[in-house]
Amino acid sequence: MENYVVDVKDLTIRFNLSNERVDNLKEYAIKLAKRELMFQEFLALKDVSLKVKKGEAWGLVGTNGSGKSTLLKTISGILKPYRGTVKTKGKIAPLIELGAGFDGNLTARENIFLNGMVLGHSRSFMEEHFDEIVEFANLKRFLDSPIKNFSSGMKARLGFSVATMVDPDILIVDEVLEVGDYQFRRKCNERMRQMLSGGTTLLFVSHNIENVKRLCDHALWLDKGVVRMAGPAEEVCDAYKQEQEQAIRERKEKRRAKLRAEGKKYDYLIVGAGLYGSVFARELTRSGKRCLVIDKREHIGGNVYTEDQDGIQVHKYGAHIFHTSNPQVWKYVNKLTEFNGYINAPVAVYKDELYNLPFNMNTFYEMWGLKTPKEVKERIAAQIADLSIETPRNLEEQALSLVGRDVYEKLVKGYTEKQWGRDCKDLPPFLIRRLPLRFTFDNNYFNDRYQGIPVGGYTKLVEKLLDNVDVMTGMDFFEYRKENAHMYDRVIYTGMIDEYFDYCLGHLEYRSLRFVTERLEEENYQGNAVINYTQREIPYTRVIEHKHFAPEEERENPKPFTVVSREYPREWEPGREPYYPVNDEKNNRLYEQYRALAEKEKNVRFGGRLGSYRYYDMDKVIEAALKDSDEELGRR
Amino acid sequence: MNLFKYRVRTLFKYKDLVKELVGRDLKLKYRRSFLGYVWSVLNPLLIMIVLTLVFSQMFRRDIKNFPVYFLTGRTMYDFLKNSTTSAMKSVTGNSALLRKVYVPKYIFTLAKVTSAMVDMVFSLGAMVIVMVATGAPFYWTALLFPIVVAQMYLFCCGLGFFLAQLNVFFRDIQHIYSAVLTAWLYLTPIMYPIERLGETLTIVVKGFNPLYYYVAQFRDLIYYGQFPGSRIFWGGWLIAFLTLGIGVWSFQRSKDKFILYI
Repeated sequence: MENYVVDVKDLTIRFNLSNERVDNLKEYAIKLAKRELMFQEFLALKDVSLKVKKGEAWGLVGTNGSGKSTLLKTISGILKPYRGTVKTKGKIAPLIELGAGFDGNLTARENIFLNGMVLGHSRSFMEEHFDEIVEFANLKRFLDSPIKNFSSGMKARLGFSVATMVDPDILIVDEVLEVGDYQFRRKCNERMRQMLSGGTTLLFVSHNIENVKRLCDHALWLDKGVVRMAGPAEEVCDAYKQEQEQAIRERKEKRRAKLRAEGKKYDYLIVGAGLYGSVFARELTRSGKRCLVIDKREHIGGNVYTEDQDGIQVHKYGAHIFHTSNPQVWKYVNKLTEFNGYINAPVAVYKDELYNLPFNMNTFYEMWGLKTPKEVKERIAAQIADLSIETPRNLEEQALSLVGRDVYEKLVKGYTEKQWGRDCKDLPPFLIRRLPLRFTFDNNYFNDRYQGIPVGGYTKLVEKLLDNVDVMTGMDFFEYRKENAHMYDRVIYTGMIDEYFDYCLGHLEYRSLRFVTERLEEENYQGNAVINYTQREIPYTRVIEHKHFAPEEERENPKPFTVVSREYPREWEPGREPYYPVNDEKNNRLYEQYRALAEKEKNVRFGGRLGSYRYYDMDKVIEAALKDSDEELGRR
Repeated sequence: MNLFKYRVRTLFKYKDLVKELVGRDLKLKYRRSFLGYVWSVLNPLLIMIVLTLVFSQMFRRDIKNFPVYFLTGRTMYDFLKNSTTSAMKSVTGNSALLRKVYVPKYIFTLAKVTSAMVDMVFSLGAMVIVMVATGAPFYWTALLFPIVVAQMYLFCCGLGFFLAQLNVFFRDIQHIYSAVLTAWLYLTPIMYPIERLGETLTIVVKGFNPLYYYVAQFRDLIYYGQFPGSRIFWGGWLIAFLTLGIGVWSFQRSKDKFILYI
């Protein structure tokens, strides 16, 4: 006879899904009289069996509503079986929601005790482990403040500490670790692994298949309440993933079929609904051309896309601040949507020091306490002279010879090294041609005449551009082309130019970024839209607090929460989101070769950041799209 | 028997939680208030003063020392009212927690009744003050008051369980119950002598109003300084256990379905 820690046998869970909930007597009486009190039953789980041995880690996968959480709740005793049995052995720590049972009015100290006792521990036991819990949660300073003042991350930290500090025999985790910042998640994962190696049994639900694969050795795949597959994690996850992808393919197929059935024909197919593609589409449409815009992402806007999260416009692909000195472009965008008067004035954090950016008199005052341009110029000149660099051999020497030691070490070095992923000494000098120093008290980052951000986000601007244009998102060009080549005459292609030619000459290189975005339950996290972290030890380069891009919105509708994104640089490799083209000699040469191929494509025009492999500010990309569309229409 | 043992063991396991919940209730009730626990005493005192001004004129001849007469009744009634109303909402009010962690659900109901009891014991301070102020005699029988409190506690737990489970399925019980409570207040000789009710009603109240049993016992011990008669004494215990039985039974029967309705 085997010894199972969790033994679920033929479990069926029934919910009553009656259309309206009857929870008052009058309705109950009426329905009873009319014999309408029918139970529309819904089986959340059907004959599910699961046997888990001590020390195993099981991942539960499945789509939304497949019964994963229901199963976990039944195992932890919250739900009772309708049919079948559930047997467990040992202490269970349910992490179905971190900090369940916290009382906002009590202090952290009181809540630790209360929460521990909710989990069934005695007071003396909690007293014994109290210090340990506080230490792990790292909240010593806030022990005696009411928990309602805590951010969601702090609450999650505390909840996790309480639940795991007691060495449970069975740990039940339901996607709770998807919240909280990166560092906390890592700490949690570490702790979970530590517990696993100590013999704790884990039941884990996550939508992130990779997480399941990493943490678990077994997996159970639920589909509409029925076990589809159970076994080694790798196998189950792969099978599940395959089916997911199949389902997505089928959805797209359906959409395509629908479009085919409509039998429309377009003059232009525009690939990519970013700024370039959208401006192009607008210009063509205004001249009476029929256009179809497709984008492989599920939304329009490309990288300028902003997502509305409860009233905060979140710049999903990094901070975008519109600035231009071109009155035509400024007029063009302002006709479409209203811009606010946002002015970018980032702040840099180095250790416990804070500096205004760009390098200006404020920065120098903060750094040296110097008050006049003359003093500053002398100080910098002296620092440069001390170094006596004649021809810079690497980026470090180049930068030093431009701004001197202090500015370089505190504000340039770490940031640059993070961005490029290597030492400044190992980077070529030409990456930095100049580091502008400003000898006025002016924190405005840009030198342009006009600056701002669309009120309500960039998505609104792009929506306006695409007002009368057919748009299909979630559609890959190469897929679309396979069956719809007859649907259009010409193509405006704004994707990666090397991808268009199937990388026949090799890959162009890019720099990539990763954004970790989280919602915090506090009204103001950092007091500025952009803060740069110039220390190399901090893994991210910038923290963006999105609400500060729209001060006018915040004034009108103050929000008690905020959304911040940390920006992590990372190496690009094929398949990752490309951000900045690496315009070094090698890559530019390769691009020229692709360019030559592109000239031979009769019915295709390449454009935009990826199509012409160059870094564009937003105003420049609009300029380019206007110019190219004029050319396309023979107006020039 | 085994099941019983198991139940006792879980109750024992969660006893600290009950304590903590009671502590939380009391703490939060008076947090940020200047006088804190003093309000437990002050509140009944203030109500007593108002009512004394009104009613002592009315029943001048029937009741000697109206303030003490009134407080002995009112204390019991307040305990009943506070414990059962908060117990009624104990399951629905903790829905967020119950949906996420397994905790025996009756713990919350038990904690609410217990904190109401602790509150009531505090408020006895008001009575002592009034007795001293009005020069009322202290009898040794007053020391036996825990007997009545124990009966009341069992009774309120039973009623609390019953209401808590009913409230999960029918939220309008809250409104109905507040009407019941008002009726209950006036149908119990708290502000008036029972004789004023007339013959029939007196019999009904004496026989079928559970609260009468406890008010009468409590008054006997404190106000009259005599041991309660055997009818109300044993009747009180009987009603307490009976109500507790019904409450526990109804709660047990439906507790597994709570999660679907909260």
